[in-house]
Amino acid sequence: MPNSRDYMARLGFDAQELSSRRHFFQLTDEDLARLAALRPFAERHNDAIIDAFYNELLLQHPESRLFFTDQAVFRRAVTAQKRYFLQLFSGVCDLDYMEDRLRVGTTHQRIGVAPKWYLGAYAHYLRLISSHLFREQGSSPDSELSNRSIQKIVFFDMSIAIETYIAAGVEAIQRHQSAIRELSTPVIQISERVLLLPLIGTIDTVRAQQVMEKMLARVVEAQARVIILDIAGVPVVDTRVANHLLQTTEAVRLLGATTILTGIRAQVAQTLVQLGVDLSTMHTCSSLQEGLEMALSMTGRAITTRGA
Amino acid sequence: MTVRGQIPILRIGSTLLASIQVELKDTTAQALQADMLSVLEKEGARGLVLDITGLDTVDTFVARVLTDTGRMARLMGTHTVLVGMRPEVAATLARMGFSMQGVHTALNVEEGLALLARLVGARPMPT
Repeated sequence: MPNSRDYMARLGFDAQELSSRRHFFQLTDEDLARLAALRPFAERHNDAIIDAFYNELLLQHPESRLFFTDQAVFRRAVTAQKRYFLQLFSGVCDLDYMEDRLRVGTTHQRIGVAPKWYLGAYAHYLRLISSHLFREQGSSPDSELSNRSIQKIVFFDMSIAIETYIAAGVEAIQRHQSAIRELSTPVIQISERVLLLPLIGTIDTVRAQQVMEKMLARVVEAQARVIILDIAGVPVVDTRVANHLLQTTEAVRLLGATTILTGIRAQVAQTLVQLGVDLSTMHTCSSLQEGLEMALSMTGRAITTRGA
Repeated sequence: MTVRGQIPILRIGSTLLASIQVELKDTTAQALQADMLSVLEKEGARGLVLDITGLDTVDTFVARVLTDTGRMARLMGTHTVLVGMRPEVAATLARMGFSMQGVHTALNVEEGLALLARLVGARPMPT
């Protein structure tokens, strides 16, 4: 689980966000005062509400019951739930409160409580609180206001929890993207001082930069003389892509190595000339095979056929 | 060994070698250029090797001074090889569109010396 302070910062949960969010949820100081005043009510009904919550809902549903097959886990969950419930009536809604709610969200996310369980359970929970409230205090303008304050803080809590769910999803996507990036620039050593980078797929600015950085790092690491850049798998080569290729070639030259561009299809050659792109400063070949021969000859090697 | 500015210039046979191990400020770079050219004028050399392995960053001014040194030396009949540029430095310069035309490059000092040997052995190039 990520450190929750760090996590708060990453999600942009700061004092300004807190006040803006409270404003939007219309969670005023009067609401908090009303909630604090309801604390004795909460303490009186805590056990009944939580017990009903578990017995009526969570243990009745075949899928949610699965979370509580272990008695120890069950007891821990009930204790945490009771503590959580009482905190709604603390009358405080500051950054520490937010952090605590965030931790609830990350815990749920980690143990695999999907948003549907979370929201469904909270709806039931809210109904339980309301019915206990009206049963004890009757229907009056005062109890209506109390009920509204409870609703506000509950929805405030839910907004934070849902954001942690979303953030976790976004982080998973980012991890996958970085894995794809790694896979998308495979630099292969094909001879002692020759590297090959077959590019496959669309090249945008971000990818072009990654390609450049990876290439340069590998050239120095392998002390390579020549790097073959094969663009046979790149569907579109326009001026922008050509410009990236030129920049990469220049950067490789600055290191003291040479780039050979291979896999230039007829259509690509036509487009580049029609666009007026000048690649004359680069070594270019139509096929990877020719590029390989050129690279080997640059490093003083050659492919020969064994004596017949 | 000739020391005037901060950067010592070593002589290896007919080649001059400057290995830059300090952060290259504008004035240091200009002093190196002046030192290099004056040694070249007085003692002559067939090649210059500028080793920038130690430089984490190279701004455009320093890059220009280094390139100019190479071009100036070329006018005085000497080839210059810039060696050991770091990947990040190369990426930054290329991205800024700064091409160091007129100087040769090599991966390390050893390769730089080998390249000079080839260049000196070959017929003088028109550029």
